[in-house]
Amino acid sequence: MTNSEPPAIEALGLTKRFGDFVAVQSLDLLVQTGTVVSLLGPNGAGKTTMVRMLATLLRPDAGQARIAGHDVISEPDRVRRVISLTGQFAALDKNLTAAENLHLMARLRGHGRTGARTIAVALMERFDIEAISDRLVKNLSGGERRRVDLAASLIDMPQLLVLDEPTTGLDPRSRQVVWSTVRDLVAEGVTLLLTTQYLDEADALADRVVLIDHGREIAAGTPAQLKAQVGEQRVDAVAADGAELERLEQALSVNFATSVARDQRTVSIPAPDEVADLARVAQAIRESGIAVDEVALRRPTLDDAFLALTGRPANAEADGGPDAEHDPTPMQEVAR
Amino acid sequence: MNATTISPAHALGDGRARSAGRYVSDTLLLTGRSLRSIPRVPERLLDVTIQPIVFILLFLYVFGSAIHVTGISYKDYLFPGIIGQSLAFGIIGAGVATSNDMTEGVIDRFRSMPISRLSIISGQVMGQFCEALLGMVIVVGFGLALGWSPHLTIAHGFELAGLMILGMFAFTWLGVLFGMLVRSPDAMQGVGFIVIFPLSFMAGTFVPISGMDAVPRAIAQWDPISALVASVRGLTQGTHSTGSWQLEHPQVAMALWCLVILAVAVPIALRRFNRTLAA
Repeated sequence: MTNSEPPAIEALGLTKRFGDFVAVQSLDLLVQTGTVVSLLGPNGAGKTTMVRMLATLLRPDAGQARIAGHDVISEPDRVRRVISLTGQFAALDKNLTAAENLHLMARLRGHGRTGARTIAVALMERFDIEAISDRLVKNLSGGERRRVDLAASLIDMPQLLVLDEPTTGLDPRSRQVVWSTVRDLVAEGVTLLLTTQYLDEADALADRVVLIDHGREIAAGTPAQLKAQVGEQRVDAVAADGAELERLEQALSVNFATSVARDQRTVSIPAPDEVADLARVAQAIRESGIAVDEVALRRPTLDDAFLALTGRPANAEADGGPDAEHDPTPMQEVAR
Repeated sequence: MNATTISPAHALGDGRARSAGRYVSDTLLLTGRSLRSIPRVPERLLDVTIQPIVFILLFLYVFGSAIHVTGISYKDYLFPGIIGQSLAFGIIGAGVATSNDMTEGVIDRFRSMPISRLSIISGQVMGQFCEALLGMVIVVGFGLALGWSPHLTIAHGFELAGLMILGMFAFTWLGVLFGMLVRSPDAMQGVGFIVIFPLSFMAGTFVPISGMDAVPRAIAQWDPISALVASVRGLTQGTHSTGSWQLEHPQVAMALWCLVILAVAVPIALRRFNRTLAA
């Protein structure tokens, strides 16, 4: 890799509005070739809008972006030749089989009939989809569809691979498969921009994380740096059930700065004094007589980083399906 | 490892993506994509096959006995109307299919690939056109099997074929445009039911325009579907329609309507498709 090579992504002040709603506000993004950068944020944070602007699917209202040195507004054809986008919703024709999809994409990328078939066969082998290659995409499971989708993104090894929420809606096993595939690609030197609302995903895959919320950058750095920004250990107390969770929070909020992760029945408390804080929390719980499953001291996660930096948990809005609130689906944009 | 050294995409060269040959081959590939889904989603053909067949049976054997048109058997009166109506229903079919397609992630994949945007729409239009053509063949075949007897000279046959192809092309584009403007396939069904469905009845399709009430008669006299129905009826049964300029010159009017529809629908559809995109 030479030093003169332009960065894979260089975005300055990218902004996109939908009516009065500002989806992305003056966002900068630098992705060096050969690295993995994750855009991390809850639903409606502007991740998909950002990705669509970078992939020439959406015209920015302000700012500029260059992909491998090519401007997304003035040289979209060149950008499309170096980028490969796998969108949030499987970007496949559901009425074609997996093999037909791969073959079609390869033909559209300029390969002849034979060449396209060779590529499709190689990709099916690599992504372990030979057994399902003759099934219609609409009959595949979410995980299988994702594998075909990833294969379709790699017909011509792209200079920049963009994965928009690659594991949203997948079961844990499929998620592991996608992760290991992504790790393999990264080992081969692919430059990757990954959006996710899963903090552990960014932590597991990315060299650098850009935390965004309401279209703005909240923080950026390596996963370790972000965790360091929160800086302290925490005590997590897991309530035995939902009713106990309410009581637990009430009891602990009297003496501690608590935050609650309801879906995990967990009350979390900053523990600057570490073991001493653990003992105080444990004591308070024992006195209250509330039933708990677990009380533990742990290192901060990106979840905590999000809470510390935005004042609310990252998953506070994550219940409305994939980016249901603000990031418009392709259809809404077409209709606008 | 340098990612560019393993990218065969670069070997294809810059000029190629823009070339006409590439446009034609991409359009054919994308047309093939649309056609391949017909046997897999056969219900997409409902608008242009089962619906007209239901109307044929209803009007021929249920309502028909109460309708009398002077100078022509009702069967021969009905089939040109049905042909016009199913052509119009093709607008709904194309609209629903397009609106469905636009909500699919695959269109985003196509748009982020180095292929011409025009070929994506062309593939869509060609696929829908072939569906409409297939539907038409089925409806005409059904009509002939039930004893419809068109009287066509060779010249009229060519004129009819030309008009039908032009009509299907224009209506397909119109449907594709509608499909891009509405927000969902359901909304497209709604538009079809509220606008296209009544217009396809107020067109001399099943009953003569002259007997209609004043308001529907005025609409029917300038309904493009009236020109279409009158064209087909004139060419196949030798009838002469009256009531407005377009009904007295239905073939010319039909051709003009198609050209106007194309002149409006094509640029708007293309602009819509590109609207939210960079360049």
